[in-house]
Amino acid sequence: MDIVTGLAVVSLMGAAATIAGAAEDLESDIGSMSNPNSQVQLAPQMGNLHRIFNKAVSGEPVAFGTWAGIAGSVALILLPTGFGPLFSIATGAFIAALVHAVFATTSHLGRTTGSSRFEQPLFLDVVTQHLGPIAAHGFIVTFCMVGLSYLMWTALGHPFPLPMLAVMWGITIGAVGSSTGDVHYGAEREYQQYPFGAGIPVAIHGDITRMAELGARNSIDVVNFCAKYGGPLTGFCFGLIVFLSFWTTIVFGATGGVIAGIVIILLLIYLNLRIEIFARENYGEYKQEKMEEL
Amino acid sequence: MMVIDPYTLIAAVTVGGVLVGGGVHFIPVGGAPAAIATATGVGTGTAMLAAGSGMTGLITAAALTGQAPWLILASGAVGSMLMICITMLVGNLVYVFGVGCVPVSAKVDTDPITKLPQEKFVTPGTEGHGLPTVCYVSGTIGGALGGIGGGLVYWALYGALANPIFTLANRTDLSAAMVAGIFALSVFFVNAVIASYNIGGTIEGFHDPKFKRIPRGIVACLIASLVAGIFSLFLLPGFLGGI
Repeated sequence: MDIVTGLAVVSLMGAAATIAGAAEDLESDIGSMSNPNSQVQLAPQMGNLHRIFNKAVSGEPVAFGTWAGIAGSVALILLPTGFGPLFSIATGAFIAALVHAVFATTSHLGRTTGSSRFEQPLFLDVVTQHLGPIAAHGFIVTFCMVGLSYLMWTALGHPFPLPMLAVMWGITIGAVGSSTGDVHYGAEREYQQYPFGAGIPVAIHGDITRMAELGARNSIDVVNFCAKYGGPLTGFCFGLIVFLSFWTTIVFGATGGVIAGIVIILLLIYLNLRIEIFARENYGEYKQEKMEEL
Repeated sequence: MMVIDPYTLIAAVTVGGVLVGGGVHFIPVGGAPAAIATATGVGTGTAMLAAGSGMTGLITAAALTGQAPWLILASGAVGSMLMICITMLVGNLVYVFGVGCVPVSAKVDTDPITKLPQEKFVTPGTEGHGLPTVCYVSGTIGGALGGIGGGLVYWALYGALANPIFTLANRTDLSAAMVAGIFALSVFFVNAVIASYNIGGTIEGFHDPKFKRIPRGIVACLIASLVAGIFSLFLLPGFLGGI
């Protein structure tokens, strides 16, 4: 494959990964997946009843590995039937979205039932309102994931089969979303009644923000906020990972790609240091009187 | 392509597993407390972040199937390091601009690498937040070890499955890559989970007092990987009644 075609394929993969990353983070915000959900689960125990969707019965990486695996397997079965890759991948993503919706329903009902001894009610309107956005975002993620795996499998000639690539990228996107965008939900949106610019002290754990701009807050209000920063950053992160992982090899070859990769890693370490110093210089030290406001 | 004999396969799976298990101890993970800026590190579970970075390493290593062994291992290490470095950098962007806190460690008074003071920047009532340079460098080392370990397991099993002594007439390179990839993935998860039990929740990296537990974790990973290496022989066609 010539460099121009290779770069076009890798760019397309990066674009699909960016969309998938953003949608993955927003799905985990609507469904309150991953680690910040510990506070949603804790809130009723602290006497704070809420209308947040709660479905974290599995780690985000494993869950998205499963959805992408289902979509990739269905797509692989449909590919030889002559429907074409786009239809096959879309059908696979649709089947995965159906399974995803069933998972979201049962896990939310199970989680809420587990909190019933703390008098946390089950709101049926919350279930019906949130299922559509959860399944829709899940569809976008699996469609893009299987799409980029298909490009790797066919255009780049990767030795792993399509469903396996989809599972592996699914695990990776879950790890990325859980590590980046979810912090915006957990450390900022969940505790918005407290002043901006600090970590969350253990003393206020479980006291999550339960009122929205109008009325009681639900997870649609959460995603409306996180879509402005956490979601796009997650997309940027995963897109960059997919793009740089293959861009170096295509442009510089196998050996040159390894050297280029190491140079990029050194640049990233320096960039991280600059961000750390920027924060120190602009935010300053914590003072006791500021914390008394908390 | 180099042909791998069964003894080399067992040794490679064992060494690969130990590298993965050791590497996980370097990765700064804060779990649920880090996800709400109550602890330093990446806001996800140990095994999950290690697996995510290992998957990228495995994909990039497998992309160079058939190349020289050192190139496959180096490619795995670079892929794994890229994933974890970009994730930690973007994570810090969220901590600094989305949450408004300084990346800081609560386990040391000054950063061992940059010598920057830490204590005054920690929000009272928390165990630190974000990823200061020492955590970042530690995570990069962890990613490299994990990528090399995963790549080593993949390279050895792929080489063994392609050995003409064990190869059946209908076996193709595709199935060899698939079996080797799934097995490497499994070895990765086994050792990542063992290491996360040893860590017991959160760790900031090589400067964390919990890092001293690493010898015990390596012994556990060595035993588990040795067993996995012996069991990997059953994957070889015609060997010990394997498929």
